[in-house]
Amino acid sequence: MKPALLSYHCATSIEDAVAALAAAGGDGKIIAGGQSLMPMMNFRLVRPSVLVDINRIPGLDTITLRGNRLGVGALVRHRMTASDETIRSHIPILHGVMQHVAHLTVRNRGTFVGSLCHADPAAEMPMMTQFLNGTVHVAGPQGRRQVAVGDFITGSLTTDLASDEMVYEVDLDTFPEGTGWGFHEFARRHGDYALAAVAVTLEREAGVARRVRLAVMGLDDRSRRLAEVEAALEGEAPDAAVLDRALAALQANITPNGDLNASPEYRRHLANVLAKRAIADAWARAGERSRT
Amino acid sequence: MTGESLSADRSVELRPKMVGKPIRRTEDPRLLTGSGRYVDDITPQGTLHLALRRSDVPHATIRSIDISAALATPGVLAVFDASALEGEILPAIPTSRMKGYYATPIWPLARGKVRYVGEPVVAIVAESRYAAEDALEGVIIEYDPLPFAIDPYDGAAPDAPLIHEEAGTNTIISREFARGEVDRVMEEAPVRVSGRFRMTRKTALAMEPRAYLAEWDRRQRALTLHTTSNIPGVIRDVLSECLDLLGNRLRVIAPDVGGSFGGKGSLYHEEMLVCALARKLERPIKYTTDRLEDLTATSQAFEEVMDAELAIDLDGRILGLRADVVGNIGAYSIYPWTAALEPVQVVSFMPGPYRFEHYRGRIRGVLTPKPPTGPYRGVGRPSSTMAMERLIEMAARKIGMDPVEIRRRNLVNDDEFPYRTASGIIWDKSAFQQCLEAACAKVDYPALVRARDAARAAGRWVGIGLASYAELTGIGSRISVAPGMPINTGVETANIRIDATGAITAAFGIASHGQGLETTLAQVVADEMGCKMEDVQVLHGDSGLVAMSSGTFASRSAVLAGGAATRSAHVVKAKVLRAASILLDVPVDDLDAYDGVVRARSANATLTFKEIAKAVYSQMGRIPREQREELTASETYDPFFGTACSSTHLAMVEIDPETYGVTISTYVVAEDCGRVINPLIVDGQVHGAVAQGVGAALLEEIMHNEDGQILTASLADYLAPLASNMPRIQIVHVEADLPATIGGFRGMGEGGTIGAPAAIANAISDALSPLGIEIDTLPATPERLFRLVEAARSRSAI
Repeated sequence: MKPALLSYHCATSIEDAVAALAAAGGDGKIIAGGQSLMPMMNFRLVRPSVLVDINRIPGLDTITLRGNRLGVGALVRHRMTASDETIRSHIPILHGVMQHVAHLTVRNRGTFVGSLCHADPAAEMPMMTQFLNGTVHVAGPQGRRQVAVGDFITGSLTTDLASDEMVYEVDLDTFPEGTGWGFHEFARRHGDYALAAVAVTLEREAGVARRVRLAVMGLDDRSRRLAEVEAALEGEAPDAAVLDRALAALQANITPNGDLNASPEYRRHLANVLAKRAIADAWARAGERSRT
Repeated sequence: MTGESLSADRSVELRPKMVGKPIRRTEDPRLLTGSGRYVDDITPQGTLHLALRRSDVPHATIRSIDISAALATPGVLAVFDASALEGEILPAIPTSRMKGYYATPIWPLARGKVRYVGEPVVAIVAESRYAAEDALEGVIIEYDPLPFAIDPYDGAAPDAPLIHEEAGTNTIISREFARGEVDRVMEEAPVRVSGRFRMTRKTALAMEPRAYLAEWDRRQRALTLHTTSNIPGVIRDVLSECLDLLGNRLRVIAPDVGGSFGGKGSLYHEEMLVCALARKLERPIKYTTDRLEDLTATSQAFEEVMDAELAIDLDGRILGLRADVVGNIGAYSIYPWTAALEPVQVVSFMPGPYRFEHYRGRIRGVLTPKPPTGPYRGVGRPSSTMAMERLIEMAARKIGMDPVEIRRRNLVNDDEFPYRTASGIIWDKSAFQQCLEAACAKVDYPALVRARDAARAAGRWVGIGLASYAELTGIGSRISVAPGMPINTGVETANIRIDATGAITAAFGIASHGQGLETTLAQVVADEMGCKMEDVQVLHGDSGLVAMSSGTFASRSAVLAGGAATRSAHVVKAKVLRAASILLDVPVDDLDAYDGVVRARSANATLTFKEIAKAVYSQMGRIPREQREELTASETYDPFFGTACSSTHLAMVEIDPETYGVTISTYVVAEDCGRVINPLIVDGQVHGAVAQGVGAALLEEIMHNEDGQILTASLADYLAPLASNMPRIQIVHVEADLPATIGGFRGMGEGGTIGAPAAIANAISDALSPLGIEIDTLPATPERLFRLVEAARSRSAI
């Protein structure tokens, strides 16, 4: 379990990294935390000819609030996301989600953007980027571009990123104060990839839920928002009848996979359980706001 | 005896002893600061590295092997298949006196055909492991696939394709243990419970994977093997035959070893290979398995299906037990234990710590194209205890008796020892009943039952489960550790010497690989000899230390090495006292040694061990020539039979009724390991073994698909327990009557893996009892619980 022969480039800037990728002729790979890449290289599932190390590029390790959006640089480690005060106050659901992400050693190295680019369908970062209407900031030889996350993630472990491009930042929605949130995940062991997870945010106005978001992950080949479930909850108080309609919509809009740890039937069952819990938490956490 | 000497003896008794003290492990400063020296840390100049092309098909004839591209890879020096090794090494034959058994020969590389995915076929020797791995894909092997049966029931069918044609059958192991008239008793019994219990395949999963380094000394024509083995002595003896080298030209060293749990307790293809290649190429050859290879080609465990039935009367008394067990033993019988080690012990231990007459246990071990099975902490007993303890609680539930009470009525009582079980194992006196009572007392069992009932009334799924068991430890030469195995593992030697500087060296045939034996044996030596513990260096894990050694396994080392240490220390101490008697001119009876100082009771005269050693060895004339003795001894200990170690585990679990996640909320172990040498180390063994048992109960399962391919080839798929899976473990040491072993020690390193799977399976079954669910398969995964609950609900809906 040793990687194949490769060369190494320590990038000094985003442009330098992109140039190194371009010079590799489609065979280069960015390394930030390396928590998914290195095992894949050791299994020789990935064989970059050049490893472009972005860890020395200044300025990428920052979390920045810009109006109602929050930028996460390409060197923000999971540990930073989990402990950042701005995230705790402006995207409390993301703070909550981070408690489920991997283990201490992985969190110290792994990055938000790296996990997004890896696009594992059972990982929290791609899910939360979708949930938070993320915009992906990409640098390439032709300059910079911005991609909506829905266009960025194209499938399980695949993205829109070209072989000579790198993601240097993602920016995400923040929430107004009083937004309720719920996140429930089930894994065989704490920190493992989820068998299923559900994220919910909503605001509570005049006794009903508004601006409802609901996303699922771990069920099939990608995490996704479920507009039909959101619609079932929007403008309603989540009583038993509303919940039933929402869960029916959920069941109608997922096609879970089976694997070693969970059958499609069990994943379906879990999706309902976790959605119920996440909706209940979000409703309970939401502060009642007067209509203005 | 005069009053004076009596009081003097009393004062000796009152001196603080090392045995019994919670002394921190003396190994730990080096191991915890990165100063340990493991096989992979050793790289002599000129070392060549090995990578193995392993079979990717389960059962096939090798039609051709093309190594030309591999040979042309930069950094590659040589490429070997079996034909290139002809004449270099003989196979190891795991013989046994068992009737009907076939000993599958073990060669370093597959010859003619492959029998499991992961079997080594081609060896690449290169300047680095990187280069060797680069060459792997250049090896082109053409296979002609052969039919196979991956399921042992299919494999046992008369027309099944044979894994080893020479055997004439796949069922190379068949044993039966029987006493009394079990069929009649079953027929007449008022209450019977039965189940088909499954302990799925596991792996030992040591933190350090297997690694081997062989060095050929051209000058001496001698070979040194550094190995991660926990049986370096056994490996030396077998390789001596395979390589035709006597022990003075073959030394096998196990340096620091990062755990085995059984997985490093057998001879491996790769171990033979590095030796043959080092001698042939006259270069050091190193091979380190990676985690993928560890999960695919280290001996695996269990995979037994146990059809078992228990008969009781209405008072809860056991009348009889019958069991029919099939073990999927994999593709080879391993050396030296044979593939019978695990499955045969499932039926020989299934009667457990209970008193009953009528029993029949049958076992068949069937060859299949899966990795070989071998020793795993607890051997046989994790499975047998799971089946028996499940039956006990099923029976209790059926007659409405408390599970503690039914055990109380059936556990062998103090006045019944020695007790011969229905399968013929003899239990010496051990605290069977006391452990049950102690576990219950520790958690206030009646209060725990009330708490469970209250939680259940509130709709929560909470359950309590117990497991009582006994295991045979410290086995002497009367019984082979594995059925019919011809090698002797029942004797241990302690070679103790005080050198001219006063240093004390105690050399053993054991091989500590995490047990802390450097600490515990030094404690024993210090007490017996009256020296300072820190002056004692314990040497082990080296075939060159004593004439015959085996290693550390089967919970033998504290008992056997502790006994041998006691004997040798006793002899050396007598020599020290005789020398001191001459030097001080005091009668020897008036002397005693403590803390490295020899004192006369009646006079103000002292000598240190160092002073005595100098006088004996270096200062001419101080000891008269005819009275001079070397301050050394090499005594052996053979406990002949062995001694029971008994325990009761009690667990309380809570199951999330929606996600089916299981949380262990309470866990207690009460165990009788005889005299506790070091409570810190005993606690550590219990903690570690219970964690391993939690893994077996809830998480760990090696899975192969129908095509014989492993599905759990990384630690993302083979789930070991994490700290977050572990409850706080409470431990009660029941030091009841000491066994007849020297020192009163019993072996205890394995027990946690025996009790935990059964106790947790029982607790989950108790939690699900309102739904009528009995757990029969481990691990009890959320998916399995989901299916059981769904099935139970659809049953009750009908």
